[in-house]
Amino acid sequence: MFRPATSALRAVASASSSTATALPLAARAAAFHTSAAERFAQPTGDAPASSTGKASTMKEIKIYRWNPDQPAEKPKLQSYHVDLAQCGPMMLDALIKIKNEIDPTLTFRRSCREGICGSCAMNIDGVNTLACLCRIPKQTNTASKIYPLPHMYIVKDLVPDMTNFYKQYKSVEPFLKNDNPPAQGEFIQSVEDRKKLDGMYECILCACCSTSCPSYWWNQDTYLGPAVLMQAYRWMADSRDSYGAQRKEKMQNTMSLYRCHTIFNCSKTCPKGLNPALAIQKMKYELATE
Amino acid sequence: MSTSALFRPTTSALRAGLGFRGIHSSRVLAVQASRPRLDATIDANETAGFKYTPGGPILKGTVNDATSFPAPNAAHGSYHWAFERVLSASLIPVMGAAAVSTGSAYPIIDGVLAVSLIIHSHIGFDSIVVDYLHPRKFPVIGPMATWALRGLTGLAVWGVYEFNTNDVGLTELVARLWRA
Amino acid sequence: MIGSIVARRSLLSATGLGPCLRMSVSVPRFLPTQVPASRRLASSQTTSVTAAESVAILNAQREKRPNSPHFTIYQPQITWLASIANRVTGSALSVALYAGSITYLLHPYFPAVESANLVQMVHDLPVWVKGSAKLLFAVPFTFHTFNGIRHLAWDVGYGLSLKGVYVGGYGVLALTAVSSIYLAFFV
Repeated sequence: MFRPATSALRAVASASSSTATALPLAARAAAFHTSAAERFAQPTGDAPASSTGKASTMKEIKIYRWNPDQPAEKPKLQSYHVDLAQCGPMMLDALIKIKNEIDPTLTFRRSCREGICGSCAMNIDGVNTLACLCRIPKQTNTASKIYPLPHMYIVKDLVPDMTNFYKQYKSVEPFLKNDNPPAQGEFIQSVEDRKKLDGMYECILCACCSTSCPSYWWNQDTYLGPAVLMQAYRWMADSRDSYGAQRKEKMQNTMSLYRCHTIFNCSKTCPKGLNPALAIQKMKYELATE
Repeated sequence: MSTSALFRPTTSALRAGLGFRGIHSSRVLAVQASRPRLDATIDANETAGFKYTPGGPILKGTVNDATSFPAPNAAHGSYHWAFERVLSASLIPVMGAAAVSTGSAYPIIDGVLAVSLIIHSHIGFDSIVVDYLHPRKFPVIGPMATWALRGLTGLAVWGVYEFNTNDVGLTELVARLWRA
Repeated sequence: MIGSIVARRSLLSATGLGPCLRMSVSVPRFLPTQVPASRRLASSQTTSVTAAESVAILNAQREKRPNSPHFTIYQPQITWLASIANRVTGSALSVALYAGSITYLLHPYFPAVESANLVQMVHDLPVWVKGSAKLLFAVPFTFHTFNGIRHLAWDVGYGLSLKGVYVGGYGVLALTAVSSIYLAFFV
């Protein structure tokens, strides 16, 4: 718990001890008010290798590019070379560094940089994940490839159009529905019933799982995909919700639920370690046995 | 002095860092802006003249219009799923029984095996058609594939019936071929 | 000056309007009327569009959007490779079953279409061809069978974890290898 603070202190301390000789005043001031990660992402100006004391290791990162201002141009992979000694450990650090220092036109979504907002979902080295939770591979002999989420329509570079995904999420009515609320106070839920929601409510809707699912690739206009199906089941499984039967009735068709063939790409790729395939199986099982 | 004038910050107040938003202007405007406008409601299927193709980039309505569900029918949903599982599971003992018996001695097992395998195949092929050639995406090839599959399945059942009644039967054929 | 601010403050606290002023942290430094006309244009030029117009704008952009690459760039994983293998092997076996059954419908017109002839034909093949053909049939059959059992286990709730998926996946591959070699060469 206290480790980050200690290491931050240590970073400041080492910076100030060496500043007496090398660092200009502005850099010394910057060392106090910026975090280590921020400093990594900033242009460092002169003598990059000396400021961290590490030898530079250049890593090639190839990034999918497409510009809506030149829609006739085919999407292409563009190569960037990043010095790992001057970059934070995560792919998002590399992307921010590239955008800051090499190519400001590179476009991607990011927000929290700690795996809770789901903005930076993309396909890194063939796997859907959050760039902020994905370490940059240390092997510098092979290039890393970054694509947007698979089989999505691309707004620009790494930014996919998520509209259909959100419309599908809305279609499962992801909120508590109960016509008989308690006369006073709140809904009471037993510890066991609350436990049933664990592993589902944590979903951040980054769409890594849905866009890793081949069934979702082929039928994403009608098949709901793992993320939305898990949220649909999250409300079916909630003891406080009284619309379970209606929620299940909606799934009684060929497309919405039953395009799931238990491929398991969803659970394999989930950056939050959740298991959408399990939730979908439970839904199918309950639909068949009730 | 009217009330609105009272709340308007003076330049000196702003300079002193005491600036605030007068409630006479921004607040009221903000409330009005958040009120749903009558012309904001459009049809959930509106594409503004662009041709909608299922799975294509053009979407219907706004992000606030939920996607719709096909008409519910358990025969296409849970019944279908459960039937498929029960049939697949029953293939295991039927297959085992066929392996230790001979088709000519136990024609019932042979017939059940053959028909179960063909229904199992039909469901498998059908899910391929739905996955890759759904009529909503392929209005010509899709229905053609569906009906071709139905026709072929009918022919296959007929053929395997003829084979099991006039020839040695499926189990016996596999056994003989394997040891040929 | 200070006196007037204090007076206003006390009036605000008396009317309970203090909090709505304390919220105003992100106040524009100028009132609209105080902004020079040139800056006002540059900073606040927006167009109001109806919902239908915004759908039109969006769909005009959507029309040009490329689809991002999918199975060509996705990492090969046992999850989806086993799934597509299940479909391919099942289809191959089913095509053989359908083809054989439907061909037999020609028996009344071509009496040569019968099991005895087929068995004789296979019998005359060289041993290595027979062995390869049996293996070619045994591999999809055993894989589809074992992977089918794996799927049935999932359907009733067993092995629905990543560990279960991987143990089951490699287990199916091992069983397929052993049983298909046994079926092809030792039966």
